[in-house]
Amino acid sequence: MIPLELYILLASAMFTIGLYGLVTQKNGIKLMMCIELLLNSANINLVAFSASQPNVNGQVFALFSIALAAAEAGVGFAILIALYRLYGTIDLDNINAMRW
Amino acid sequence: MYADYAYLIVALPVLAFLLCLFLGWHLPRGGGFITVLATLGAFIVSLGIFLETYPHEIVHQSMHWFAEFNVGILIDPLALVMLLMVSFVVTLIHIYGNGYMNGDPGAARYFAEAALFSAAMLGLVFADNLLQLFIFWELVGLCSYLLIGFWYRKPSAAAAAKKAFLTTRVGDVLFLAGIILLYNNLASLNIALKPGEYLLQFPVIYANIAAIPGDQLTLIALGLLGGAVGKSGQFPLHVWLPDAMEGPTTVSAMIHAATMVTAGVYLVARMFPLFYAAPHGLTAVAAVGAFTALFAATMGLTAFDIKRVLAFSTVSQLGFMMAGLGVGAAVGAMAVGVSMFHLIGHSFFKALLFLCAGSVIHAVNTNDLREMGGVGKYMKWTMYTMLIGSLSLAGFPMFTGFFTKDEIIMIAYEYGTMINFLPYIFLVVAAVLTAIYTFRMWFSVFTGKERSNYGKHESPWVMLGPLVILAVFAAGFGIATQTDFYEYLDSNFEHYDLDFAELGIIGGHVLEEGHGAAQEEHAAAEGEHAGEEEHHLPWYIHYLPIVIAIGGILIAGLFYWDKIKKFDPSQVTGDKDPLRQTLLKGYYQHEILTGWFAETLVYGTALICNMIDIKLVDGWLNWLSSWVMGFAQHVRKVQTGIVQNYVTALVLGVVVLVVVIALAMKAMEVGLV
Repeated sequence: MIPLELYILLASAMFTIGLYGLVTQKNGIKLMMCIELLLNSANINLVAFSASQPNVNGQVFALFSIALAAAEAGVGFAILIALYRLYGTIDLDNINAMRW
Repeated sequence: MYADYAYLIVALPVLAFLLCLFLGWHLPRGGGFITVLATLGAFIVSLGIFLETYPHEIVHQSMHWFAEFNVGILIDPLALVMLLMVSFVVTLIHIYGNGYMNGDPGAARYFAEAALFSAAMLGLVFADNLLQLFIFWELVGLCSYLLIGFWYRKPSAAAAAKKAFLTTRVGDVLFLAGIILLYNNLASLNIALKPGEYLLQFPVIYANIAAIPGDQLTLIALGLLGGAVGKSGQFPLHVWLPDAMEGPTTVSAMIHAATMVTAGVYLVARMFPLFYAAPHGLTAVAAVGAFTALFAATMGLTAFDIKRVLAFSTVSQLGFMMAGLGVGAAVGAMAVGVSMFHLIGHSFFKALLFLCAGSVIHAVNTNDLREMGGVGKYMKWTMYTMLIGSLSLAGFPMFTGFFTKDEIIMIAYEYGTMINFLPYIFLVVAAVLTAIYTFRMWFSVFTGKERSNYGKHESPWVMLGPLVILAVFAAGFGIATQTDFYEYLDSNFEHYDLDFAELGIIGGHVLEEGHGAAQEEHAAAEGEHAGEEEHHLPWYIHYLPIVIAIGGILIAGLFYWDKIKKFDPSQVTGDKDPLRQTLLKGYYQHEILTGWFAETLVYGTALICNMIDIKLVDGWLNWLSSWVMGFAQHVRKVQTGIVQNYVTALVLGVVVLVVVIALAMKAMEVGLV
């Protein structure tokens, strides 16, 4: 039995990496990947807590979260493809038509 | 049996309105025959009711409308003579209109509006309560606006329509105020109403006048008089009527001679008991009427537009009617009969005169008297029918106007012997002027040399036919119906729960001893008063009107008839003559009302208000909004368009939230412990 602390440590590490990537990266696809990291770190937490206390609620929640992430990825990549067709790039620094 | 179909009197013209409005474009002559048939139907129903009820019955039908109001039909002698006159004259005018409006692209619109107008006027007359009367009253005003502005592409017609609408509106507001005041007073009396009775119904009003305080009655009477002054073109709200001649001549004949302008007189006649009971109520009516009669007659002397002459004469004759009602302070309810007689007679000969004028204008294509002259050679029928109308208007013996107008002058004399001679003097002078200006017009148009090259042809028979019929009435109506008419109308208020002696005490009228007796007598013996009067009026008073009429016509002839011409008008009064200029300019009313009051006073005030609005009200608001805009210019820089910045802000925000919540929870724990 792996202790709960290690799971939380793993989840925190993933969350931090994801956050770091989100703030520093310019490439749209990299940003998508970072968001996936954030979501999955949360999922790990949910499943870990669910397994440590005999209660399946957390795992059900994680399933919902995965479905949500799939939908989010679908929409996100569709937007990126549309952006690529429009601008010929997915470097988000160049995509700023809506700013002041 | 006809009484069951009384609603048709209004329903038929309304139907004609709808048909002409929607289908008139597809019918020959704009569907004018529909309007003719509808008003003819209304006339037949009115005539049927008259034959059924004459002389001692009234028709009263009523149904609940909403809350404390009803819709109903009240046809008593007063309403019935109006219904007959309106539907008859209007039918003839519509027949004439079929010829006059032939070829006008807006004929369908004309006949639709004319039908609606007829409906509104008839509805106004047979309404059994003041609210219903007011609604039709407004509808009449709307129709007059539409019809005066019929040729709306002509700027002067559009302006005249607007002027008519706005001026009558002033009176209508007063009228509405009078109704509301009357309603409040009646409601505060806590009258025990029987089922089917409503507060604003005329019988209920009549029965309860005596219970309303005198000062309130005066206020109500002045409000109602305000409405009547606006609608009937009395001073000072008469300014719209001469301008209203911008519409087609048929409209002038229909609205501004025969029917609409009589609505005001009808209102005062209808509410006569209230005016009688109100202290000073009738004095105001008499003052307004007598002054208007003289005032308008003087302006009629100098007008050059044939229709304006007739318009001023209408204003003047309406003044006669008002004065006739006003002097009822001395002679009691009999004044209603006298005044209504002039109203009915006047609508015949004035409609005739207008239609004749229309016939002349139709042929010679100008309104200006100075460009006519000698038209009689080409338009025999028009000349002779117009002569009959003019003689009648001038009050030539044995014509209708002689019987109707002079009766008003007689009772004004009686008023003079008892109260004040001023109305009598005003009316006599006005009567002289009436004869003069009427024949100035007639001589200028039909006699003498041709003063310009105008069209020379007689009008078609569809136009001459109504002229001939109206001429018969203008000549013979007075002599044929005089005694019966008075008897019939004197019986009007006997149908209601009214005691004129009691009302007279409230109103402060001291009826002459003999006259009070005479009144009671003819309440019993029905209209012996014609004989009653004659023996206590001096003979010269009795013959004065004849002298007036013939003398006035002679004076006009000496100036304007080439056969007996002795004077040239321009020698007597030069163009620079101040009196002549004053009359020609209509007492500078336009200068005073439009130039000074509207353009200087009102417009100046409006400019100041505009300044305040722009500088103060708008200024403050503009300053505030520009400050907000400036602030936003700075704040919008936050939106950099770089996703990373947004994410950073988001994360920082979450961190701050977490810290704050943690601190708050800590504080709560401390607080709770």
